Amino acid sequence: MDWTFLATQATVNGLIVGLLYLLMAVGFTLVFGVMRMVNFAHGEFYMLGAFGAYFLVSGAQLPFMAAVAITFAGALAGGALLEWGVLKPFRRDELNGMIATIGLAMILQNLALMFFGPDPLSMPPVAEGVTRLGKAVVPTARLYVVVFACAVLALLYGFLRFSRPGRALRAVVEDMEIAAIQGIRSRLYYPLGFGLGAGLAAVAGALMAPLFSVSPFVGGAPLLKAFIVVILGGLGSIPGAAVAAMLLGLVESYASLLLAGSTADMLIFAIVMAMLVLRPKGLLGRGEA
Amino acid sequence: MTTLALAARPGGRVGPLGMAGLVLLAALAALPWFSGAFVQHLAVLVCLNAVMVSGLALVARCGQLSLGHAAFVAIGAYASVLAARHWGLSFLPAMLLGALASALVALLLGWAILRLRGVYFVLVTFAFGELLRLALLDGAALTGGANGIAGIGAAQVFGFAFDTRERFYGLALAAALLSLWMLHALFRRPLGHAMDALADNPALAESTGLNVHRIQLLAFVAGCALAAAAGALQSRYIGYVSPESFNTSVSIGFIIMLVIGGRRSVWGPLVGAMVLTPLPELFRGAVQTQHIFYGAALIVILRFLPDGLASLPRRARQLWSRDAA
Repeated sequence: MDWTFLATQATVNGLIVGLLYLLMAVGFTLVFGVMRMVNFAHGEFYMLGAFGAYFLVSGAQLPFMAAVAITFAGALAGGALLEWGVLKPFRRDELNGMIATIGLAMILQNLALMFFGPDPLSMPPVAEGVTRLGKAVVPTARLYVVVFACAVLALLYGFLRFSRPGRALRAVVEDMEIAAIQGIRSRLYYPLGFGLGAGLAAVAGALMAPLFSVSPFVGGAPLLKAFIVVILGGLGSIPGAAVAAMLLGLVESYASLLLAGSTADMLIFAIVMAMLVLRPKGLLGRGEA
Repeated sequence: MTTLALAARPGGRVGPLGMAGLVLLAALAALPWFSGAFVQHLAVLVCLNAVMVSGLALVARCGQLSLGHAAFVAIGAYASVLAARHWGLSFLPAMLLGALASALVALLLGWAILRLRGVYFVLVTFAFGELLRLALLDGAALTGGANGIAGIGAAQVFGFAFDTRERFYGLALAAALLSLWMLHALFRRPLGHAMDALADNPALAESTGLNVHRIQLLAFVAGCALAAAAGALQSRYIGYVSPESFNTSVSIGFIIMLVIGGRRSVWGPLVGAMVLTPLPELFRGAVQTQHIFYGAALIVILRFLPDGLASLPRRARQLWSRDAA
C-alpha cells in the first residue's frame, strides 16, 4: 500500500465528514448563541430531516435538491413553532430549558418510531460512480453532498452577514440587551434562531440520508459530534465551530486509519478534556467558558 | 424558599400531616414483604433507583446537571464485580472499591470541567457516558464486551447471603433509607446550606467566601460515589451487567425521576423513583407511548411544578393558609 495515497484519501474523507459535522454544529451553536439553550432535540431534527428527504425523494419522486429545500423550510417553520409553543416559558433559563429540550427530543424520537417504525430505510443514491480527485477516489454521491453542504453554508454565511434579519440575529447573539436598545425585537428572534438551528440540522440529515440509512435512531451520533465540535470551537462561536469540525473530521479519519475501535473516541475525548483545561474558550478564543 | 421554610420550623419537628405521611410511607415500605414476587421486584428497583437519583440530586442541588450519571453507576457495578471476581474481595469491600473508583473518576473529571459554565458540565458528562459505554464494549477481555458479565453471585455481608428477593429488599431498603438520611442530615448542616446558596447565585456565594468550585466538586464526587454503591448493589441483585444497561437513556431516566420527584427536596428522589419505576408496567407493549408520556410529563412539570411532586404538600399548605387568611 502506498502511504501518500492512503493519507490523501484519509484527508479527503476527513474533510467531507468534517463538513457534515459543521452543518450539524453550526445550528447547535447558533441556537445556543441566541437562546443560551443547549438543544438536545437537535439530533431529532437531523433525524426528521433525513426522513423528510427520504419520503420526498422515494415517495413523492421529487428531485433531491427540491427535497432538501422543502425539508429545510418545514424544519424552520416547525422549529419556530415548537420554540413559540413549548419552549417559550424557558427562555433565559439555561438549566430548565435544557431539560425541556430533552423532553422534546424524547417525544420527537418516539413519535418517529410510532409512525415510521424502527427498521432502517435506505434511500437511492444521488449519483452513481466515483470521481477521481488527484490520487484520491471519492464516490460521486459524496461529492454531490459536499457541494450541497458548501452551498448551504455559503447561503447561511450570506444571510448572517448581509441580510437585515441575519444581522439582527447576530446582534442578538452578541448581546441581547444592547440589541433590544437598538430597536431589534429580540422576542421575534427566539423562534427564528431556534427554527434556523432546526432547519440546519434537518438539512444535515437530508444530505446524509442518501449516504447512510434512515431510522428514528440516527440523531444520537451526530448530536454527540456537534457537542464535541462546539466544545472544541467554543460555545456560540461559528468560526470556531468551522475550524473544530474540520479538525474533528480529519482526526477521526486519520485515527480510523491508524487506531482500532474506540481508541479513536478515547483520543478525541482526551483532546476535548485537554482543551477544556488549557483553553476553555475554544480554538479561536471567541466562545465563552 | 424551601430552605427558609424548613429552617423556620423549630427543631424540624414533624407536624401531624407529616406524621401521617411518614406512617403511610412506612406501611408502603413494609408492604412488599407481604406481597408477591412482582411487587418485591419493583420495590427493590424503586429503592435502588432512589439511591442513584439521590446521588444525582446532590449534584443538582449545586446547580449542575449530569447527563452521564449512569456511567458512574456502571463504574461502581463493573469495578465491584471485577474486584470480586479477580481479587476475590467479598461484597462490602468490593462495593467500597467501586464507590472509590467512581469517586476518583468524578474527581478528575469534575476538577477539569466544574470551573466552567454549567453547560460544559452537561455536554462533557454526556460525552463521558457515551465514551465509557464504548470502552466497556471494546474492552471485551476484561468486561465481556457486549455480552457483559453474567452469573454474578448474591451479595454476602458477614456470612449472611441476600440471595432471595425478600432478603435483598431489606438490603435495598436499608440503602435507600441510609442515603435519604444522609441527604437529610447534609442539608441541615452549613455545607448543605452553602450548596443551596451557590445553586441560587454562584457569584454571590463566591463573594461571601464560599469556595464554589470545591463545594461543587465535593457534591459531584459524593453523588457519583453514591451512584456507584447503588450500581454495585444492583449488579448483585440482577446478577448480570452489560454496557447497554448504563446508556444515556438510563441517565436521562434518572434526570426525569429527579425533576418529576423534585430537585429541591430530600424526598424528591424517592418520590420520583416511586412514581416512575413502576410506570413501564402500565405501558407494557407500548414503549413509545411511555416515552412520549415521559417527555410530555417532563415539560409539563418543569412548566407548572418546577420543584416536582415533592413540593405538592407545601403548595397545598400554601393554598390552605391563603384560603384561611
